Amino acid sequence: MTNHREDVSHVEKISCQLNCQTQCVDFLRSMVAVMAERTGMDPCHTNRIALAVDEVFANIAEHGYGGEPGPIECETHIRCNGNGLRELVFDFRDFATSGWVYEECHVPQSDLNMDCISPGGLGLRLIAEVADSFKQEILPDGNRWHLVFSLDKGVQSGTAARI
Amino acid sequence: MELQLESESNGDGCVQLRVCGDVTIHTSSKLREKLKPLLAPDAREVRVLLDDVEFMDSSGIATLVEGLQWSRTSGGRFILAGLHENVRDVLELAKLDTVFDIEENNG
Repeated sequence: MTNHREDVSHVEKISCQLNCQTQCVDFLRSMVAVMAERTGMDPCHTNRIALAVDEVFANIAEHGYGGEPGPIECETHIRCNGNGLRELVFDFRDFATSGWVYEECHVPQSDLNMDCISPGGLGLRLIAEVADSFKQEILPDGNRWHLVFSLDKGVQSGTAARI
Repeated sequence: MELQLESESNGDGCVQLRVCGDVTIHTSSKLREKLKPLLAPDAREVRVLLDDVEFMDSSGIATLVEGLQWSRTSGGRFILAGLHENVRDVLELAKLDTVFDIEENNG
């Protein structure tokens, strides 16, 4: 009998192309779940990463493509950084030539004005809270979005994480 | 997961809205459409039961904030009940957990 846990633990990299209008949250959460399983990430951290990934996807769909159909490429993998620490990386690539330019200074800070909470502003704030790094690379035909999560804060004790 | 919504009124200005499923950018408009009419000037209390919601993103939170704003202007009570730990964590990340009227889970 095949052991499912063993199978998913050997996944090196997941790549896919999605339509931004599709309800992809389940698929994105599955990607996160596979990587979480592999690294022994706790459920809370897993949900936070799923949230950040969902928010990036939603922002591209909303602000990059303006709610119109459009392709989004997504890839996730685990890597070791220069200090030997493990990181979970999500790269998104869109082909939207107008719209959203991310700047950290635009992320709403801790004192919320209840009258101006918007899904976009709140979403960026959640991404900034959860991700260790979030960067945009503007390309001639779209954007690349680079999300990095440190794995050291969400690995359950006693679980041997693998790369 | 398809979002399912069911409201129940006790006829005394108190309404409960039961939410079942993920609340995301694709489903939050459905929640908003259902919630908005419940936030009437003469309503006394709107209780949103979320025990079947395991995932909520910023669009869902923003929809709930509309309920909060209603409670501040109308004087009615807007209560969140049955929060899954994932949803509570998102509210904490957004620093809104102390702003909402959250009914603690029993047990």
